[in-house]
Amino acid sequence: MSALEEQFVTEARELIRQATDHLIALERDGTPERVDSVFRAFHTLKGSAGVVELPAMSIMLHAAEDLLDSVRHGSLGASAEIVDAALGCLDQVTRWVDDFEAAGALPSRAGEDGRAMAERLRSFLPGRTSEQSVLPAPNLLKEGGRGPLPEWVSRLIAAERDAMTSRMPDGPMVATAVSYEPLAGCFYNGDDPLQLMQQLPDLLAFHIEPREPFVPLAEIDPYACNLRLRAISAANRDEIASIFRLVPDQIQIISIPPEALPAAEKLIAPGDQSLVRKVIEAQCELLRVPGRTDGLTGCVGAAARVAENALRHGRHLHLADTVGRAGALALAQHDAGPLLSALERTLAAFASSLSTMVPDGDGRPSTTVTSERPTDRVLRVSEAKIEALVNLAGELVVARNALSYSTRQVDLGREVARSIQRDRDAIDRLVTELHGTVLQLRMVPVAQLFGSFPRLVRDVARQLHKKVALVTHGETAEVDKTIMDRLFEPMVHLVRNAVDHGVEDPEQRRAAGKSEAATISIAATRSGDRLLVEVTDDGRGIDPAVVRRMASEKLILSPDELTALTDEEVVDLVFAAGFSTASSVSDISGRGIGMDVVRTAIEQIGGRVSLESKVGIGTTVRLDLPTTIAMSRIMVVEAGGQSFGIAMDSVSETVRVTPERVSTFKNNDGFVLRDRIVPIISLAELMKLPVHKRDTAQSRLLVVMETAGRSAAFEIDAIRDRLDVVLKPMQGLLAGARGYAGTTLLGNGQVLLVLDVKEILP
Amino acid sequence: MTVRRSDTGTVILDGVCAVEDAEPLLQMLQATPAAVVDWTQCRQLHTAVLQVIMASGVAPIGPCGDVWVKQWLAPELPQKEAGG
Repeated sequence: MSALEEQFVTEARELIRQATDHLIALERDGTPERVDSVFRAFHTLKGSAGVVELPAMSIMLHAAEDLLDSVRHGSLGASAEIVDAALGCLDQVTRWVDDFEAAGALPSRAGEDGRAMAERLRSFLPGRTSEQSVLPAPNLLKEGGRGPLPEWVSRLIAAERDAMTSRMPDGPMVATAVSYEPLAGCFYNGDDPLQLMQQLPDLLAFHIEPREPFVPLAEIDPYACNLRLRAISAANRDEIASIFRLVPDQIQIISIPPEALPAAEKLIAPGDQSLVRKVIEAQCELLRVPGRTDGLTGCVGAAARVAENALRHGRHLHLADTVGRAGALALAQHDAGPLLSALERTLAAFASSLSTMVPDGDGRPSTTVTSERPTDRVLRVSEAKIEALVNLAGELVVARNALSYSTRQVDLGREVARSIQRDRDAIDRLVTELHGTVLQLRMVPVAQLFGSFPRLVRDVARQLHKKVALVTHGETAEVDKTIMDRLFEPMVHLVRNAVDHGVEDPEQRRAAGKSEAATISIAATRSGDRLLVEVTDDGRGIDPAVVRRMASEKLILSPDELTALTDEEVVDLVFAAGFSTASSVSDISGRGIGMDVVRTAIEQIGGRVSLESKVGIGTTVRLDLPTTIAMSRIMVVEAGGQSFGIAMDSVSETVRVTPERVSTFKNNDGFVLRDRIVPIISLAELMKLPVHKRDTAQSRLLVVMETAGRSAAFEIDAIRDRLDVVLKPMQGLLAGARGYAGTTLLGNGQVLLVLDVKEILP
Repeated sequence: MTVRRSDTGTVILDGVCAVEDAEPLLQMLQATPAAVVDWTQCRQLHTAVLQVIMASGVAPIGPCGDVWVKQWLAPELPQKEAGG
């Protein structure tokens, strides 16, 4: 996927989120500003779809835009049905963006789906017949050949020479002229030719004129378009074609060769330009050295930086950006190719433009050289890169632990030992700090999570004919990305539950003396290293009597056990497996997931769930969560036919010892490692597992551990794997088992017991 | 109203001037061809409205509130300075 396409995916998702937020808010407040915001979000989304050439998406969004335009102009009200349709359109866009990211293209039936959705959207428009919405294929654009420029293009260039010169900061590169003669009836189709022109990126010149001389004012038809609009843009013809793809029969696009463009004034002398060219040529030569593999990364990085800086110095800002992006791509692919071809293209463009760049005689500095855009202070970094960094920092921690161990083993003079100790402490501190900082990179505001709930609440409430307002608090509280990802499903379930089971029908609420519209609030608060999330509704609450009856019907507890429980304890039973208080299973919450799944999911990430409910007042579900996920690096070993995990931070090394190195002291085996006797303990024996008869001549595999100042070696059969896992505390029957730090689920579904080395060492 | 007449008879374009504003504007200009048109408050100008202005030959009091129109179109049209 190209950088442009990646950017599209990111931007599209952000725009979808904005559009969704505004649409939901629109239904609530319906202010003109809100309509404008919705319209703008769709409009921008349509523009981005055009840039990456996804016609199906563009056609559909164009229809949505028309619909919203009618809402904006007041000819249609923002009814729930229209909002539904617009949200449906966004859902389709979301799916397509996912497809596009995964496969680089839309699915084959996208055209059909897009047209169907466009039909649906247009069906709301007043006075529209379906045939009007059949859109021409966007491949009818007239091709502008390389022949002589049409007279109108030359005339426009001549008329706008000064203005164009001042608007081309990087010298003339690509330019495209477009002439647009809207149909006389275009206004009836909802077209706004000026709007289309406004979408042209990097506009250099613009001219508007009547096609036929205007008739006297008394005879004029205000709704018959009699205009011709012409423009020159620094964008390429594809970009322009995509903007006008819905009016292909009314436009003409001409690519203008650089030599036909007016010369740009430059701040710097031509001599400097040739210097810039030489610098780039040198980088090309450097990159062309064949068979280079070692140090390629450094070489590519340096070449990209040098070329980019040289171009910036020469004020070729667009080119500098392009080269910078190509450099990043080359680095990511470990291949100089992308950078090299970008530099070669730059040289070619450079050569053609340089020949036309003759500065004015007086050499006065141009005042219109555009400054670079202020740089965005937020970096977008791919999750994979952060993951890699987190892993590296984790390994560094392990390596530091090993170093600590090794330094203690070395017998050195006091002075040296103290000096090493001091250095080690410094490294310790830095590594700990680095690890902490890197983990901070994974912290994301819960706003990202909360953002999906307004839509959810709206849809569910609408389906159930309930009125619900959603209030969120504390969106800025931060939590580890992994926790947030794993929090999503349980939260969806809780919010659905609140709307479905918690909130009463409007009639019931009225009868109970409450306002018809219920309020659900989602609040996040950070408390130390914990995150508290509360989902509260002001609905009917949970009746302990009902829970008691259900629990006894479903045989969750015996009648005696139930009698012994307090009301609070009874309410907590909704988290018991197989419990559901809803008398009928609706398709909202009753998808076979109960509150027990919520509790399990939350506990898996080291959190706790509690519930508080008052009959007639409402229910609050409280999630108490860790803000960072505690990942442990473990080694999976095999002994006595079973696998065990050993925390890596207690392992100092693994060794194979030959039988002659092993000696027996008082019935215990041991061996000497760096002048210290390390006892050997058979892990299988220790875990009371069958011990295989060992071939006495064979070497033995040992894991040397260092904990609480003692060292010992476990004899094992094999080392299977090294893994980063989330340790779950021992639960249920195993809760009292000693000698285990916890359990973790392996990729194959097997439960792995992780040993608590400190505890099991005899 | 996005197109309205002030107490002094000035035709004022205000806010988002959509396609349906073309007709009332035309009627006002037909009634008083010498009217002053003020488009400083206009945030967005529809092509149909612009066409009426162009066809009537009036020179609106500038600058146009629609920044795109102000930048790209105003230099092409006869225009009076604000307050002038």
